[in-house]
Amino acid sequence: MKAAKLLSGIVALAVFFGLSGIASAGTLDEILKRGELRIACQTQGAPFSFVDRNGNRTGSSVELCELIAKEMGVKVKFLNYDWDGLIPALLSKKADMLAADMTPTLKRAMKIAFTDPYMYTGSVVFVKQNSPIKTLEDITAGTKMAVLLGSTGESDAKKVFPNAQYKTYKGGGPLLINAVLAGHVQAGVNDGSAVRGQVASFPPNSVRILEGQLSRSPLAFAVRYDSPDLQSWLNLFFLHTTLDGRLGKNLDYWVNSLDWKEDH
Amino acid sequence: MLEAFNFRVILEYMPLYGKCFLATLWLSALSLFGAILVGIIACAMRLSQSRFLSRAAGVYIESIRSTPLLAQLYFFYFGLPTLGIMLPEWVTGVLALTLNSGAYYAEIIRSGIQAIHFGQIEAGIASGLSYFQRMRHIILPQALGMTIRPMLGQAIVLVKDSSLLSLISIMELTRAGQLLTSERFMPTEGFLTTAAFYLIIYYMLKAFSNWSEKRLIFQEAY
Repeated sequence: MKAAKLLSGIVALAVFFGLSGIASAGTLDEILKRGELRIACQTQGAPFSFVDRNGNRTGSSVELCELIAKEMGVKVKFLNYDWDGLIPALLSKKADMLAADMTPTLKRAMKIAFTDPYMYTGSVVFVKQNSPIKTLEDITAGTKMAVLLGSTGESDAKKVFPNAQYKTYKGGGPLLINAVLAGHVQAGVNDGSAVRGQVASFPPNSVRILEGQLSRSPLAFAVRYDSPDLQSWLNLFFLHTTLDGRLGKNLDYWVNSLDWKEDH
Repeated sequence: MLEAFNFRVILEYMPLYGKCFLATLWLSALSLFGAILVGIIACAMRLSQSRFLSRAAGVYIESIRSTPLLAQLYFFYFGLPTLGIMLPEWVTGVLALTLNSGAYYAEIIRSGIQAIHFGQIEAGIASGLSYFQRMRHIILPQALGMTIRPMLGQAIVLVKDSSLLSLISIMELTRAGQLLTSERFMPTEGFLTTAAFYLIIYYMLKAFSNWSEKRLIFQEAY
């Protein structure tokens, strides 16, 4: 009898929450009600999202998110994840959206909904300054390459150099540069704007980026498929900030130049 | 819940899990063997009459026990190459696990030896037994019997710690879960399967310790 009562209570609760889920208008309403926009991002993703030398969280994506929250009229809360923890965090509803230098691949889009791309980039190969590898053609079957688990660089590299030997790391881009410098691998592959941003924190002339990109890929923010309201809001946000020049200013400062190096 | 759990994907990744399971097994077995050896040596040094040996072992044990394994692992992996020592990943991993668990084993074995009442040693001396005879027939059988449970505990900790080796690009059980998660975005399937394999190793270790405990305690000491 007691068990039956408990069970019916649980069922009632489930139905209640299920219905309230249907009744609520969507993610935007939830964010407004909460007064807080929760964003999954990285801490080691310079120049997009990282912790600067003063210990402040900053970067292109971070400033864009602060702008998004300002336009929404809510506070912003950043949640830290490793690269491959970003999508699970979004899917498990720990975050409302995902802001990283992520390429909207068809595979990822099977799970999460991407906004329109707000910029384009591509994977590059980098080696130690004194490496005998001078061009992309010098990479052969035996070359040991470092890639980040689940990154676009990983799939690009495996497409272009299917016979190279891969070592997969988990964490941020700087880890790949460390692996190259320590000599665990001969070359690393990662997103070009990320590598250029991160190399600047290492001793000058320690790393050389090879001429040429492995791919041309768009970058976009992402939401869950149950948040079409947030998705179309973000698309509108990118349209407005493109038109009024705020997006261009952000990208020129963070991504297209190393201007940010002086301030952060 | 169950319909959300995708067994088809898990089955698809089984060959990977199998390979990684074996990797975890032999990495752990190698480290465990090394750690017990290091533990015995460090413990002998710690208990020795020589001040120098005892201090050296003390420094080793304390510096290992006071720092996280992850920091030690990163030191071996990224730090040693800058000093000119270049080791393959798996050697780095086994070395880090061996040195880490070795310190704990040293303390476990020491506690077992020191728990034996001094009267027994005096009795041994009085009966004319040599140092090695006393160790062989009086102290070690009892110390081993008493420490089998804590030793098993440490072995389990070692197996679980081997999951950290995924961070230096070694393919083992946790990495298999990470791979499934990053390729299919299914953390539940990925990591529950990983956990199930760790459980299998745990039961293997437990069965072995039960068996050896019975043999050692009931046949040797009593």
